[in-house]
Amino acid sequence: MGMSSLALNGPTIVKAIFSRQNLIFFIVLLFAIIFLFPPVWMLITSIRTTQDLYKYPPSIIPKTLTAENYIYVLTKMRGFSRYVVNSLIVTISTVIIVLIASAMGGYAFGMRRFLGQNFLFMLVLGVLTVPYIMYLIPVFLMEYYIGLRNTWLGLILPYVALNLPWGLLIMRGAFSTIPTDIRDAAIIDGCHEFQMWYRVLIPINKPALAATTIITFVFAWQEYMFASTLMSRNEWQTLPVGIVWLRDELQTLVMGRIGATIIISIIPVLILFFAFRRFFIEGLSEGMLKG
Amino acid sequence: MGALRRKVAEKLNLLVFLLPTLFFVIVFIAFPVVFSGFLSLTEFNYAEDAVPKFIGLAGYWERLIKDTFFHTALVNQMKFGISYFTITFIVSLLVAILINELNQGVQIFQVIFYLPMIIPLSLVGITFAWILSPDVGIFNQLLRSIGLKKFAINWYGYPGTALYALVVARSWKMIGFTLIIFLAGLQGISRSLREAARVDGANFFQEIFFVVIPNLKPYMLVSGIWILINSLKVFDLPQVVTQGGPGIATLTLYLYSWKLAFERLDMGEASQVAYITAAIILILAWVLNRVFKPETAQRG
Repeated sequence: MGMSSLALNGPTIVKAIFSRQNLIFFIVLLFAIIFLFPPVWMLITSIRTTQDLYKYPPSIIPKTLTAENYIYVLTKMRGFSRYVVNSLIVTISTVIIVLIASAMGGYAFGMRRFLGQNFLFMLVLGVLTVPYIMYLIPVFLMEYYIGLRNTWLGLILPYVALNLPWGLLIMRGAFSTIPTDIRDAAIIDGCHEFQMWYRVLIPINKPALAATTIITFVFAWQEYMFASTLMSRNEWQTLPVGIVWLRDELQTLVMGRIGATIIISIIPVLILFFAFRRFFIEGLSEGMLKG
Repeated sequence: MGALRRKVAEKLNLLVFLLPTLFFVIVFIAFPVVFSGFLSLTEFNYAEDAVPKFIGLAGYWERLIKDTFFHTALVNQMKFGISYFTITFIVSLLVAILINELNQGVQIFQVIFYLPMIIPLSLVGITFAWILSPDVGIFNQLLRSIGLKKFAINWYGYPGTALYALVVARSWKMIGFTLIIFLAGLQGISRSLREAARVDGANFFQEIFFVVIPNLKPYMLVSGIWILINSLKVFDLPQVVTQGGPGIATLTLYLYSWKLAFERLDMGEASQVAYITAAIILILAWVLNRVFKPETAQRG
């Protein structure tokens, strides 16, 4: 009896190991490791010493770990903290304006009926398909003549315009699922339309607002082309542009320190991403599938 | 009287609700599109000329027929677009199908594949340039250690590989987006449909090819269009990693347009390239719509 069950076990174990479930898990794991490698490698790079990084042949395993790069970046590099401030101010302002504008516009598109509604909305969505360089050139010329280059506002305004379509798409979707009875009841009760919008509808739409917040934040945080073109002076640059500038202009700046700046610069979005992951994915999915 | 006043008030409210949207769309979108359309019909160096000089369609003729830089950029763009489309589409579809089969670990895997979406493309560029750097780069060291020394080349410094090394970095970042779309599509396919196929004796691959893929068609169209739009927006990576080089091996349409505008300061020529790029996007999106048009496939 014991023997026969043992004899049976061999193939069963092999079969269990090579089951479809395990095989698929293993393949996905392999993909995941490859995917995770670049940021993980930057993290490893940022905690290694300079000699360890530039020796030949390079090694995967660090000899010694050090926080020196982070200490240097955070205490000795004045320019870097300036980029952080610029990025935070530009991104947060963009998010706030997009939230207000898309909550207002989303209501108009989702709950009201008016002439040219669909045409106007298609026009807004068209923003996403047009090559951004088509906006950049006239926006650059406008800001060149008005003198908005190298100001926070000069970056915030086009960022709002570029991110508003996503916000409107999400907010319109949210507003259009609210039964119009709620609106009508509130208006019959003598509630002013703005009061009703602010007191009744906005609280219902909190998830959509969260999705708009995280998506706008992530997109504005990483924008490069407008930032690098409109902010010609180093002290106004945002993180994605400033870090490239550091790499190009300070040739002596070693990779460990650049790695530290990269890791620090993605921490804010990383925190937001983990906190609001569900909204981020749902918002993107909704936006992409309807857009 | 009261009803009329309420109607007027409602219209006025509507206008107020739409005001922020209208302001940004008109000033920063509609006007720029029209204005760059106008610029594309002119010669205009913004630093020297006071007003644009109207030349009609001559600029387009110049770009399309005579400008060899433009021709190279167009060819580079096509190579980039085709390889980028293929890699992004196939890998994200494959990963989506596989993740959809898993019973555990789905959440963690999704987070890992979505992670690249939040990392700025310019910093992705620095990261890949560091990993792929010829001597101290870890990728070449890996190749050397497994005996593939002759493949340990200067990936971004060699004209034959630079463009494709950029494609890998760009795809790495994009796959999360299309994965979202495919996973949404896969969740919509009913279990009973697949079980029916299994009862009929279909194996795993038959099930994927004859049941899952046809039902994904609408989602393939959506992700195809998104990849397409993104495949032409190639600026950050070549600008940060290769500056369009070596030579002009990684000069893309976007980068060329930008260089014309902000290095040669010729807003007219730059706008022509931008408009031609927009036309290409429109045409390709229309073709894609034709190819993936869901005829028989039902939406999940």
